[in-house]
This record gives sequence, C-alpha cells and structure tokens, in this order.
Amino acid sequence: MTITQALRPVDCRNLSVRYGRIQALDQASFTVESGQVYALLGRNGSGKTSLVRCLLGHQKPLTGRVELLGQDVWSSRTALMQRVGVVSEEPDAPPAMTARQLLNFCAGLYPKWDSAAADERLKRFRVPMEVPFGKLSRGQKAQLSLTLALGPGPELLVLDDPTLGLDPVARREVYDELLSELADRGTTIFITTHDLAGIEGIADRVGILHGGRLLLDEKLEDLKARYHKVTWAPFQALSPADLAPYAPLRIREGGLGGEAVVSQGDPRHLLDAVRPDLKVHALSLEELFVALVGAESEVAS
Amino acid sequence: MTALAVFRREWTGRRNVILLALGMGFIQLLGLHFGTDAGALHDKAVVMTVGTGTGLAWVVAALFGATMVGRDLEERRFGFLLNHPIRLGDIFAGKVGAGLCLALLSGLLVCLPPLLMGGVWRVFSLREAGSVAGVWLAGSLVLLLLFHAVSIQVRSRSLWLVLDLAAWSAFVWGARILSLRLIAVGAFAGMFRLWLVLLVVVTVGLGIAGYLQVAEGRADLQRGHRWVSTTLAISLGVALLIGWVQVAWVLRSRPAVPQIQPGSARGR
Repeated sequence: MTITQALRPVDCRNLSVRYGRIQALDQASFTVESGQVYALLGRNGSGKTSLVRCLLGHQKPLTGRVELLGQDVWSSRTALMQRVGVVSEEPDAPPAMTARQLLNFCAGLYPKWDSAAADERLKRFRVPMEVPFGKLSRGQKAQLSLTLALGPGPELLVLDDPTLGLDPVARREVYDELLSELADRGTTIFITTHDLAGIEGIADRVGILHGGRLLLDEKLEDLKARYHKVTWAPFQALSPADLAPYAPLRIREGGLGGEAVVSQGDPRHLLDAVRPDLKVHALSLEELFVALVGAESEVAS
Repeated sequence: MTALAVFRREWTGRRNVILLALGMGFIQLLGLHFGTDAGALHDKAVVMTVGTGTGLAWVVAALFGATMVGRDLEERRFGFLLNHPIRLGDIFAGKVGAGLCLALLSGLLVCLPPLLMGGVWRVFSLREAGSVAGVWLAGSLVLLLLFHAVSIQVRSRSLWLVLDLAAWSAFVWGARILSLRLIAVGAFAGMFRLWLVLLVVVTVGLGIAGYLQVAEGRADLQRGHRWVSTTLAISLGVALLIGWVQVAWVLRSRPAVPQIQPGSARGR
C-alpha cells in the first residue's frame, strides 16, 4: 500500500450487502481523496443508506471492506470516530436531551472538543439550548446534529442527506456552514443527498448509485465537460446517426422540438459541420442525474 | 470513561420512572394507614416494602431490558452512540448499569415511605436488608438481560426464532429431567444447587449474548439476533451439560437408598 492510499479519507472496496433476496449493494468501490467533497447520489432504495451504514461501521458488509483515514472501520470504529463527524439521515439524538446536555455529552467524549465554536454555531443557527431535542423543528435538529458533528474538528465529515425535509433557508444555512468549514479547515466531506441543486456548488466528485451498483464515479467538472444537452427546433429532426459519435444517452422529440443528452465529445462540432441551428447546453447536476438514472432505468425495464 | 456518558444518557431519558416510584410509594403509605389496625401495621408494612419494592424493581428491569437496545434499533437511534467514540463494551455496560441502578432505585423509592413511616426500619436488620437488596439486584440483572435478548429476538422477526424456541424448549425439558432425577432420590438441596448453577450459567450466557449483540450486530438487528441466538443456544447447552455433571456427581456420591424387603421386619 502506498502512502497516498493509506491517507485516503475514504476507501471502499467491493462492498456488497444483501437483505434476503434483495441485493442492496453490489460490489461498490470508490475512494475519496483528502479535502474533496464527494456527493453520493441515488434514488430512494438505491443502496445509499446501506453504503453509509457500512462506511460508518454500523453494519458489516457481506463482502468487501471500508477504510476511513487508513484504518479498517469495522475493527477501529472507536478510534476513528474521534476523527470523523457524522450527521445521520434521521436526527437520532435522544429526544429527551436538550442542546446543552447534548453538547456536554459530546464534550466528554472528545479530547479536542471546541465548546466555544459549538456554542457560537448554535447561537448563529438560533437553536434554543434548553429545549429537548425531540421538540426542536426539523431544521433545528439538523443544525444541532451538524454542530455536534463539527464540534471535535473532524478530518472527515459523513453527512447522510443532511438537508432532507429542510426549508430553503435552513438548507442554505447548512451549506454555508459546510462551505465555511471547507474554507477554514479543508475537511473532507462525504455527503449523500437528493438536493442536487444545493450540492452542485460544493461537490468536487460525484458518485451515482442505482440498484445497488455504482453507475458513475467521476469528478464533477469532468462530468460537465463530457455530458451535454443538445436541443433543436420543431420540424428540424436530427438523425440519430449524426449524434452517434457523441454516445447519446437519451433522445426525445416532441411538439416543441427535440433534445438529446450526449455523453462524450463536444457536440459543438456538430453545429459547424451538420446543423448550425442546434443549441448545445451545459447540463446541471440534476439534469445529468435524471438522464443517467433514467437511461439506466429504461435499460433495466 | 465513556460507559458513564452512556449511563447518564440513559438516565436523562428515563427520569420519570423515579417520579413514578416516589408517587407509588406515597400511595402505598396511604394504603398502609387505611383499614389497618395497629397490630397488623408492621406485618403489612413489611409485606408492602419487600413485595412492592421487589415487584417494581423487577418490572423496571424487565422493561428497561426490553427497550434499552431494541427500541433504539427499531427507531434508528442506536447510530447516535455508534457515531461517537464510545467503545462497544462501554455502550453495553453503560446501558446495563443504568438499568440496574434505575431498577434498584425505583424499588427503594417505592418502599421508602412505608419503610420510614411504617416503622419497618426498626424490625429490619442490616443483614436482612442486604439480602433483600441482593435478591433485587440478582433478579433485576437476570430479567434485564433476559428481556434484552428476547426483545432482540422478537423485533428482528427472523427465522432464527425457530432456533431460539428449540433451544429454550430443550433447556426446559433437560432441566426438568435433571430435577426429577434428584427428586426421585430426595436430593432437594442438590436440586436447589442445580437450579442455582443453571441460573448462573444462563445469566452469564445472556450477558455474553447481550454484549455480542451490541459488538457484532451493532445497528444490524438481524445480525445481532444471529449472535444472540447462537450464543444463547451454546450457553443453554453448556448449562445443561454442567447440570448433568452435577446431577451425576450427586447421584454417585449419595448413599444408596436402603431397599426394605417385604416381611424382613417380621422375621426378626
């Protein structure tokens, strides 16, 4: 093993998880480099939760192994959790404990707990200190969970859909906090989310999980360079043969014209060579996700 | 000491049990003073103190055991402990410790008013009080561990339940056979020792099974159930084996029961 490999914050190899006859994860492998923001995307039931459970040592995979910060997560979980901050999909703190009690609870567990920063963060989020966790709003629960995760100054943050069910303001506040954490300390972040628009601004690398398989694992900027949307006006049909060199994922035609998502090369060459009336657009992460997962679902069905 | 943090966390969520015990204690006190003549007051107070205290301590222990991990797993709250640097042994020890303390304190609080105001403290020696506390503690430990194991087995709803039922049935059947063999020769003290040995070995097995459920099952209820079932089946088997050796030893070392020949007394 090289030094670079040993220092990788996340290294998942051939993870498989089965529940009876259901294959929740099928040989998923990926790595996250230091300082990177890795966004794992997938539809409901795609295997994200199983993957995160394996990633945190909550569940033993059927095959494969996970290393966080160079250590096996199943056997070294206690030591690793000193260096890893976690926000769960469902806010899981004890409902009877107040924010202050939770801060005290966590402060006793970490040698490097930054009480001042945690208090300051909660004040900024306007989370009341004396209200039991179970009585906080969904947004406040997420903000408190994020505060607890950031308290010990983690080297790696694992966030399982932290913005699920949050209003746009609370969602923005969570992302702002993450951005400031990135700017201040360069923390590596592994995040699963359905909020594709929100994560697009901060993700460096994207993985897409579908039916338990990792469909894609690539840098976001490379993805955006590779995938494009081509549109054309009504009654100006484009022959599939013209698009063939660009590996189209999906071609759709309707009364308002046609559109295709292509996955390789730069279709701007088409404009000059074949059809100057075509328009080529960059894809948003959401469009890209829909195109990829939609195409895969069509193939599967 | 991270076990202490888990202990405190369990207490924070279940403080109401203490208030409930105190409330029940005062209700008992009222019951003690209504419709009781002065002569019977002492006896009634003793029965109430020991009976209610033991009952509440054991009920609290059983309920705590049934919910301490199983409910967290079902409500997906167990991850909160796993996401922090808390050793798995400390999670289990902290929860068991909190459950035992809560059970004992509830038992004590419920009998405190009749104990103090009914004058029971005057008739109890320190040794007797110690015995009662010992019975509370032992019973609470057994019930807490047993209900923890059963709650995991029931909540996981897996086919391993068949092994659990088979193991417990075999254990009860085996214990019955061994007891009957001792009864047949009138070795009642030996039978008491046999049950004690079985109880101790099964309790140790339940403790190991509970720890393994947390350490090896973690947030995976089905995997935890597999560990509980396997460990418990082995423990029940070991308990029966030890019991069988003990019974064999008792039967061997016991003088043979003299056979009375019909008519022998008449002959003399």
